[in-house]
Amino acid sequence: MKELAVRDEHELESRLIGTGVERLALLGKHADALMQGYSRDEVPLEALSDSALRRLLAARIVWRPDDQGGVKLAPRVRELIAEMLADETRRQVNADVGETLELLRTLVQSYREAQNQGEYWRQEQQLLRLRQAVDDLNGRFADAIDSLWQRLNSDFGFVSRLNDKIRENDRAQKQIVRLLDGLQLIDFDELIELVGSDGTLRKLLISQLQRQVSQHYTSLREVQSRLTELMARFRQQQSRSRLISGMAAFLREHPNFVPGNYARRSEVPDLINQASPLIAAAAPALDHEPDIRVLTDLVHQLPTPVHKPQAVAAARPAEAEEQSLVAARQQALKQDVENFYLTVIDHPDPMGISALAYLQESDMEWGDEIWLFQVIAEYQGLPRSEQRAFRLHQSESRASRFNDLRLIHDVTLQLANSA
Amino acid sequence: MIEHGPLLERLLAGEFVCAVSDDRAFRRLEDEEVREQIDTYLRPLNRRLATNAEGSVYFLAWRQLNDEAREQLSRQLGEVLHSLMPMLEWLQLMQEAMGHDALVAPGDVLKPAELSARCEDNQSLREQLERLAGDTFFGSQSEQLDAQMKQVFKRLKEHGYLLQPHADRQVYLVTGKIDYLVDLVRLIRDEENLPVEDERPQTQESLL
Repeated sequence: MKELAVRDEHELESRLIGTGVERLALLGKHADALMQGYSRDEVPLEALSDSALRRLLAARIVWRPDDQGGVKLAPRVRELIAEMLADETRRQVNADVGETLELLRTLVQSYREAQNQGEYWRQEQQLLRLRQAVDDLNGRFADAIDSLWQRLNSDFGFVSRLNDKIRENDRAQKQIVRLLDGLQLIDFDELIELVGSDGTLRKLLISQLQRQVSQHYTSLREVQSRLTELMARFRQQQSRSRLISGMAAFLREHPNFVPGNYARRSEVPDLINQASPLIAAAAPALDHEPDIRVLTDLVHQLPTPVHKPQAVAAARPAEAEEQSLVAARQQALKQDVENFYLTVIDHPDPMGISALAYLQESDMEWGDEIWLFQVIAEYQGLPRSEQRAFRLHQSESRASRFNDLRLIHDVTLQLANSA
Repeated sequence: MIEHGPLLERLLAGEFVCAVSDDRAFRRLEDEEVREQIDTYLRPLNRRLATNAEGSVYFLAWRQLNDEAREQLSRQLGEVLHSLMPMLEWLQLMQEAMGHDALVAPGDVLKPAELSARCEDNQSLREQLERLAGDTFFGSQSEQLDAQMKQVFKRLKEHGYLLQPHADRQVYLVTGKIDYLVDLVRLIRDEENLPVEDERPQTQESLL
């Protein structure tokens, strides 16, 4: 009698396997049509023969919601595809813990009965199904958590608008609450009582499940806090965008709007307190013995300056107020130097005219150094052809016996052909 | 203090230091001990380290607000207000051209060529850019779209809102100074009680 039952069960099992393989093959055979059904609303029937459609309907891969309507993918198949594609727009979080717990209780009872009656084969079968039920439960949480991380890490990249992102984030947070509620339903005290002293069951339903549940808890809490952070960022982005467009609209409407001068208040807002720039300038100094050699080397390495004649007179973009005075003085100096050059042309002197002597005779107030500098600069600023018309003699000496620096004491300018 | 030398120089020169402009310096500034050291150093220069509400940019503020400092701040505030409208319009233009519903944010990558192409195809964006570039703040004299965009980016770089990592490549990064600008807008809104909302209306919230 017992053997007969076992044989029946074996037969049942092999029949199930056969049908399963046949029906799974249908998924592959009609993959194109099914995927079109996934991406659109309905499965296109043109590609399917009548018998193929009948088989798909019988396998509950597709269904017909009403007689007049078209054929659609069965919800489970749609979920399966979404899961396989990690398609976050359609992936569902389903942690139906209550029902699984009910199933576990039933299976434990059947397992017990089989054990008591010494039906080992049935006992094995029940244990297998128990394992599968625990794995399913575990897998559902793992999938749900995976889906949450995917969405989080992509910044909800599958929707583009900020409002949609905020809504999706909100939905994900609600899913987490449901998942956490689900985990809460697993009452280990009850399970301990249920499994009693059975070592196998204890391992499966207590130690293994407990470890997995605690992992899920940790992951869910982590993903939850990250989602909250991301939500705050979304909201901040939204608020910034509103603020800027609001302010721009206000300023367009009130072009003459001038806010108060916060800098004159007794309490200046921190935000506008921004110190003026300070350039940490430095210049070569010769008062430190070891540096002199370095500086001398540097001077020797300087490339010969190439002067572009137009650089001095070139127009420059608007300058700040403080600079305009400097610019005016610079211009006056240049003008005076030009007059010096004109004097040299008008009064050709074979000995040339000393720039310093000219300066001292005139009532100009330029410093000697700056005057000489400008006279030399003016000469170097001339186009080469005009430079040839003049001869500029620099009376110079070495700074010291140990220093090759040349000091210019005066320059004499003369017309080239007057010599 | 030696190791903070280059950072101090940049801060003293009036630069805004953020995670985009100088990640390492920024991370150092997040250390309270370093901030205190720098503050001590700056004390005789009548300056102190300052940051915005989110702590995303660091810059130097006056320690004591004497008359001279107030004078300078008034002038500076005037300049900022002068640039406010063109800056807001630029922010909106970027947002529209990129089809985003969020403002550009520190770290965002902007490519003038790409943005020019978008403006070329869209009359309204084209007009917005033209108006913007011609503003005295950006000061473009050109009628060419590419040149206008280039000038706008050049000015934004000069003002520290953008960073160009490679001088020969037209790719820019948005710096934390944008955060400062947004904070400033919020400050003006709050100080002047302007009817400008930035929060989502409550009724809509409860519908979700």
